[in-house]
Amino acid sequence: MSQVPLMESSEADLAATPAAGDGLRRPARRLVGRRGESWVPYVLVAPVALFILLLAIGPALFTVVEAFFRVNALDPPTRFDGLGNFRRLLDDPAVRTSISNTAIYVVVGTLGSTLLGIAAAVVLQRPFRGRSLVIAVLILPWALPGVVEGILWTGIFDPNAGLVNGLAQTTHLGSGDAVLLGQDRIQTIALIELVQVWQIMPLSALLVLAGLQIIPGELYEAAQIDGCGSWGAFRRITLPLIRPAVAVAMVQAVIATLNVFDQPYVLNGASRTASSVMMQTYFVSFQDLDFGEGYALSLLVTVVTLLVSLAVVAGIYRKVEL
Amino acid sequence: MTSSTRPTRRRSWARLRTAQLAVGLTALATVAACGSDDPGGSDKTTDVTITVALNSEPPPQASLDAFERETGITVKWVNIDWDSLQTKISAAATANTYFADATDVDWSRVGQLGRLGWFYPMDDYLDTDAMAADMPQLASFTSDGHVVGIPYDASFMVTTINSDLYKKAGADANPATMQAYTDGLKKIKDAGVVKYPLNIPFAAAEGLSTYWYEATEAFGGTILDESGAPQFTSPDSAGYRAAQWMIDAMTSGLVPPGNINVADSQGQQTLMAKGQVASTFSDYSGTVGSLYNIPESSTVVDQVTYLATPGTDGPAANLSNPDGIGIPKQAKYPDAAAKFIEWFTDAKQQVDFAGVNGPEKALPAYAMPSHLSAVEEMTAKGDLVGGEVLAAMLKTSKPVFEGGAPAWYPKFSNAVYTNLHAAATGEMSVADAIAAIADTADQLANES
Repeated sequence: MSQVPLMESSEADLAATPAAGDGLRRPARRLVGRRGESWVPYVLVAPVALFILLLAIGPALFTVVEAFFRVNALDPPTRFDGLGNFRRLLDDPAVRTSISNTAIYVVVGTLGSTLLGIAAAVVLQRPFRGRSLVIAVLILPWALPGVVEGILWTGIFDPNAGLVNGLAQTTHLGSGDAVLLGQDRIQTIALIELVQVWQIMPLSALLVLAGLQIIPGELYEAAQIDGCGSWGAFRRITLPLIRPAVAVAMVQAVIATLNVFDQPYVLNGASRTASSVMMQTYFVSFQDLDFGEGYALSLLVTVVTLLVSLAVVAGIYRKVEL
Repeated sequence: MTSSTRPTRRRSWARLRTAQLAVGLTALATVAACGSDDPGGSDKTTDVTITVALNSEPPPQASLDAFERETGITVKWVNIDWDSLQTKISAAATANTYFADATDVDWSRVGQLGRLGWFYPMDDYLDTDAMAADMPQLASFTSDGHVVGIPYDASFMVTTINSDLYKKAGADANPATMQAYTDGLKKIKDAGVVKYPLNIPFAAAEGLSTYWYEATEAFGGTILDESGAPQFTSPDSAGYRAAQWMIDAMTSGLVPPGNINVADSQGQQTLMAKGQVASTFSDYSGTVGSLYNIPESSTVVDQVTYLATPGTDGPAANLSNPDGIGIPKQAKYPDAAAKFIEWFTDAKQQVDFAGVNGPEKALPAYAMPSHLSAVEEMTAKGDLVGGEVLAAMLKTSKPVFEGGAPAWYPKFSNAVYTNLHAAATGEMSVADAIAAIADTADQLANES
């Protein structure tokens, strides 16, 4: 598909517009540059561009630069430190643990939310009574703040008065005093990630559902005539055609899991058992007031997010033409 | 180069120039946002509006209106949760931007804030020497000879027991020593009155650190000396024994196993207030009146009492962990803020906040006054549950760190609670946890 940039429009284009009478053309001319470039697109985009520049790109550039400076409120003045911040961070056992924890969050969370999202989308694709209501309910966890979800699940996992232990005791499936979080690292991370998957899966489901909607029904009919079963149709038609949507869903899951903070912090405190890189960024920046290390850790997360996202896009995304 | 490519190249340069301009403007805006180095601030004290940011509900509007009529200062109150508040204080001070005229000064950050100079010394505005006699916890807010904030309520660590459960087990409900206290807990467990009699919040959070500090005090020692050197490395030291006592309590079944992930307030609400445990060794002052005796949130109304905290040979001192209020350097109206702080921390006002003179003058969830005279007045009127015990404890309460909390306290506390938590989960031994905490303290003290 060819795209014509808005800024390429010229006076000739305007003149060629059938409805462009004199009265309509005058205000447009005032916004046309000497070389015939229209300023209208710039003017329209400017507020958003300025907003992004000031609140996203500006701070991002600032972070990149400051990551190479020693910026510690308790150790002034600010001075160039080369790779010092990165070296100190990687020497810190708490940071190293948080990196490996986060890697598990990413793998478990991305796979979990994507697989469940695909499953939910496939179920939701077929019309049934109350489908709209189910979609509305499904999206609720996504709309809730992570802290609220953490608090909610604290009540479920609470070892002394939680729902899980209560149910286990009532149904005689357990003693009712099982320690679910904090004791075993993998179990703790898995349960915390379950909470995050519960939050991000709805968006994955909606993205995949959107991808499913554009697959023509004729393809399935043709496959059926050729003797293809349901699983075969799913594997050979559905999965290949929803790859763009799955790629987008996976990228959003990668970003969310690499930046996980609320759920582990609320459910497991500052314990290293399940601490994430973003928690360490918070501790380093706002507890220790070592902003230089905070910038460096943020930069690392950004770079890793970019690389993993690119890898996901390269591995999963395929252009689909229907 | 073909002629057709020239316009594109020109546009590219134009875009580049635009981008350069944008970066420049962004940098300019960033610098402008960061403000100047001179904090400034007006000395106006009438017809001004000040912003007060605390982790607390506002005082009754009638009280604020009365203050406004009296001084001409309008108060805009912002209630922010504690963690967010600390982040905002750091962010605003670092960026040198206005955030509030008066805000929270936590005892644990006094050393840090004092060293950073982020707050005006309160002794420049108020007669803090005169206040000290009636405000024992003022010492916790002093850094390098300057008072960084004024405590607006009293908070210190106390021992609470459920006397009904003690009575049922036939245990000594008034143990004066740690040995007698531990024996009593074992007796309750052995009698089967409750499965786990002791609440220790082993979640990796600040509440675990303060619990250990109070236990160390009970074992007759301190955590750090005035230079910040750790005093708990020897197995005979109070800090080491306190840590060992806490972990032993967990492994021997005195503490619920699930407590490895229970924070201080959670343990108070779900264990102590529900009669699931018989005692919290390091509880917070005021919880009997504000939580355990509230029927809506408690099943142990009138059963929980304060206990003079057991020590090695007799009652130990109670360590202070109060919240104070101070004036950040970026305040627009520091003098007006000082007037507000004087009013807000006044003894008479605190009696009102505590609800002694009617609920319409009470500050919601107010613990207890920081003025000794106000506590005594409440006790005399019978308005403070356990008032006599609390007043006596307040008199002898002392700062956690004699030399004031060190500037690196937050990082040290993080090492304390993460390592003690790890010891409680069995991930590391007490010796390793103590060694890791001591290493952190040594490293931080050397760096500072």
